[in-house]
Amino acid sequence: MTTLIIVDQPPYGSWAGREALDMVFSLAAFDQPSALLFIGPGVNWLRTHQTPAELGQKSAEKNLSAASLFGVESIFADQSACEQYRVTQERMLPGVALTSNIQKILNAHNRVAFAG
Amino acid sequence: MPNSVVYTLVITAAPWVSQAPQTALMFAREVLLAGHHIDRVFLYGEGVHLASSLSTPPSDEVNWSKEWSQFLNQHKIPATVCIASALRRGIIDETEQSRYELAANNLRMPFEIAGLGEWVESNLSSDRVIYFHGAS
Repeated sequence: MTTLIIVDQPPYGSWAGREALDMVFSLAAFDQPSALLFIGPGVNWLRTHQTPAELGQKSAEKNLSAASLFGVESIFADQSACEQYRVTQERMLPGVALTSNIQKILNAHNRVAFAG
Repeated sequence: MPNSVVYTLVITAAPWVSQAPQTALMFAREVLLAGHHIDRVFLYGEGVHLASSLSTPPSDEVNWSKEWSQFLNQHKIPATVCIASALRRGIIDETEQSRYELAANNLRMPFEIAGLGEWVESNLSSDRVIYFHGAS
């Protein structure tokens, strides 16, 4: 029973994405299968070479790169959103599965949640 | 009851910013009326503001924090406030007040501060987990 958490907010502008990641990490910490799906502006989480030090915020990239370490099963991203925001393969965290069929991803998970 | 469903409700938006806490309360009342159960209410992100005992709206407005706490007390439903979300936003119980040597505490009863583990557990023990979000 894998829980899919959807992130549709960009990093840094709000805490919603960070709190979504915390949800995924705690599922993983309790050995519950979990996965992430980035859609819309949320795909900006997946960019490499983020330098948020001047904002006084922790790096979203660093935060997210711990996902596989924590045991998050899969990271999905909407292909068209990646194209729209020009998050290309060369500028994307490794291990992200691109999808052009979000419905299929949603159907494959029994529990789906937005973090807010 | 053979068709009884166990729910967990997650509220992620603050009262007086979003209608989410109000909608969640209406939903919760209907759930019980229909003979179903609520395993737990979990406040996350901005939703933790619902657990403030200091919210004081004008007297001709509904106090959603108070309404929720009365509902929870009446039906003995446990309600958890995510500790990381709460500490960031200044929702503090006695334990955290003394741990961080803070000037005051403001957690409204019967809310309790705990970790996301409670939410994970509710995911396992409920048939359905329903999220009440604000507009984003």
